[in-house]
Amino acid sequence: MTSRRRLHEWAGEGAAASAALVTFGLTLAIFGFLGWLARPLLSGETLTTLFTSVWQPARGQFGILPMIWGTLAVALPATLIAFPVSLGFACFATHLAPPRVRSLLKGIAGLMTGIPTVVYGFSAVFLLVPLVREMAGRGSGFSITAAVLVLALLISPTMILVLISAFEAVPRAWQESFDAMGATPEETVWHLLFPLATRPMAGALLLGLGRATGDTLIALMLAGNAVMAPADPFGPARTLTSHIALVMAADFDSLEFRSVFACGILLYLIIFGLTLLVRRFTRGPEA
Amino acid sequence: MKISISNLSFRYDSKTILNAVSMEVPEGSLTAITGPSGEGKSTLLSVINRLWRPEEGARVTGSAMANFKGITTNLLEPHLDLPSLRRNAAMVFQNPTPLPFSIYKNVSLPLTFAGVKKKDEITLKVKRALNRAGLWDEVKERLSEPATRLSGGQQQRLALARALVTEPEILLLDEPTSSLDAVSRDRIEAQLMELKKSCTLLLVSHSESQVTRLADRVYQLKGGRLERRL
Amino acid sequence: MKPFQRVLLRGGAGLSTLILLSGLFVFLGNIVLKGLPTLSLALIFGEASPIDALFLKERVFDGLLPAIYGTVCLILLSVALALPTGLLTGIWLSHFGKGKAKAVLSLCIDTLAGVPSIVVGLFGFSLAIILHKATAGEIGPSLFIAATTLSVLVLPGIVRNTQLALEAIGLETRLAVTAMGATPVQAIVRVYLPMASPGIFRGAILALGRCAEDTAAIMLTGVVATAGVPYALFGRFEALPFAIFAIASEYAGPEELAQGYGAALILLLLCAGLFGISALIARRFHPDNR
Repeated sequence: MTSRRRLHEWAGEGAAASAALVTFGLTLAIFGFLGWLARPLLSGETLTTLFTSVWQPARGQFGILPMIWGTLAVALPATLIAFPVSLGFACFATHLAPPRVRSLLKGIAGLMTGIPTVVYGFSAVFLLVPLVREMAGRGSGFSITAAVLVLALLISPTMILVLISAFEAVPRAWQESFDAMGATPEETVWHLLFPLATRPMAGALLLGLGRATGDTLIALMLAGNAVMAPADPFGPARTLTSHIALVMAADFDSLEFRSVFACGILLYLIIFGLTLLVRRFTRGPEA
Repeated sequence: MKISISNLSFRYDSKTILNAVSMEVPEGSLTAITGPSGEGKSTLLSVINRLWRPEEGARVTGSAMANFKGITTNLLEPHLDLPSLRRNAAMVFQNPTPLPFSIYKNVSLPLTFAGVKKKDEITLKVKRALNRAGLWDEVKERLSEPATRLSGGQQQRLALARALVTEPEILLLDEPTSSLDAVSRDRIEAQLMELKKSCTLLLVSHSESQVTRLADRVYQLKGGRLERRL
Repeated sequence: MKPFQRVLLRGGAGLSTLILLSGLFVFLGNIVLKGLPTLSLALIFGEASPIDALFLKERVFDGLLPAIYGTVCLILLSVALALPTGLLTGIWLSHFGKGKAKAVLSLCIDTLAGVPSIVVGLFGFSLAIILHKATAGEIGPSLFIAATTLSVLVLPGIVRNTQLALEAIGLETRLAVTAMGATPVQAIVRVYLPMASPGIFRGAILALGRCAEDTAAIMLTGVVATAGVPYALFGRFEALPFAIFAIASEYAGPEELAQGYGAALILLLLCAGLFGISALIARRFHPDNR
């Protein structure tokens, strides 16, 4: 090899490796920056108030516990509703719907992943919130219920796509043997697909949970934002994510402001944990 | 001798694929390697252009030498300039694998890799290679068309042209006509007979009749051992 | 399986599909229905003359043009920032990475992909703070910071997409290319990247869509309700998703509300359009893939 070519090889591989290093650095940097900026809050006394229920920044109390409950109160029900619905859609779109309809459904699921969250939120504010207010007979309609319903709609396409690719990964030959045995599509779904796809199903569930936990806009626009432990499904709640958005208006150097970095770290850690679990379930032998 | 292999053993993952094989390939001839499939004929071929699959743990012992323009090259030398070797010992595979580019680009790529820059030089060599492969007349009007539109037999001749464009001294052919119909196979065999005048050919084939038609020298690989038959 | 169980399963699946589709159509239909009537030149250009406004000769005060320009500048800048790093990292993962290093980076990509956009926004914000202090107040939350933040958001997608597109190239092709005398870098630059380019391009289009819809990250890094068209890399800017959000939070009357619907419709069409283009690319270049 000429020395010029050797230089090209070295430069090419070097560039790729540098980019990989940058990406690696970024992943750490996000965690690092957040930690650094949350530092004043993580010292002794204020640390204990962090995990209490009292959010009174004026009095030096930065309890983000209500927000933790808020995140759970919104993300968990949304995932629990979205999962069976997504599973049903995926079954329908791969096996139970008439053949011509199937690719249309898959296309719609794909398209749904591109729909802006804020558009759902906007529509729901004027359509769903009044409806919830009517049905509940109380409150403003800006409630956990409203947020949960829209969030479920939002995270479904992600789960559907994972489930569809899991179902389609089942070898054709096995599906054909089932048909040859005289199985109806429903029996194929129940006795072949479901048992084989339990791992991807768990993965999809966790993926949806991650998305639900990380969503900001739906909670911000629909869940009412009062700082209180979620007590009433038709009442308000504030999630870790919407808390960050709301507090950002405050003065920078105050401790109140820095509490959002603590929220950020918490969210990062939760997602990291979920990511590890998802990899476990969807990669299989590699992970 | 163009290629001299002596006591070569190729072990991978505790399996011995080649067991102390020895082979001499004379210049300007067609030497064939036959034997049951899956037993290492391709591996033997790949020792010459160092193309064995990049899995870890292949252990090669013995010696393999090739003669390029009078200079003896040790094929097992760790720091050998591999791209240069592969331009001198070019390979045609069983499946043509045309790249999704134009016919012209498919043939000219090896020259680009070699660092040839002048457009006229490239065009000249492409034309010459396509001629030697017996494909020029059929594609001379359609050089910018995608290579994937050619028929199976044409694609294989394209692969042959691609191998010839760097004017290699050795041509390695791994079952080049196994996936072709009889007509295409005959065409390629005719080109190979012509090429004997300018190259040294090493052909792997499981077809006895093909070997009888083409080969000046025949080796048989069975159970990891190589035996000369002709 | 008993007949009624079969009916239950099929019915359940069909019902789920129906629920999801009706939710989709109701919410989006609402936007389309209320947004369509608002589509007019006035919606975009306010009281300014369209030609003058398009060429920035006249300022638009109550139209969506600044937000539209803002979004367009933002997504182009973000993806332009993310592509080089994303492409090279994807190349590294598929060709040069081995063993532990590759596994660690893979985990990083998956983690990065799951980080909520608001947390990435926080990161961008902290970046802005550091720069603000370092440059004595010259740099702060701005178009550039927001674009950098969004590029971090779409980076994992581009990396994975590139990696997959390159790994899809079969072993036979790779052996043939190596046998032609190509060095690894030559093979990547002259053969594999061109072969993978439809897939990579498609990933870039999807990244554009992702940047267009994001609201949370830009809320923390410089988007405001009124700033005019983006005038400087380090200045504040407007964007469609934020305009929609701001109007939903507080709108001063039916005209502003109508403007909100119009903006939502425009954003919806933009994102759907980008997604449609990416689907077309997928169909045209990989007819056997989904």
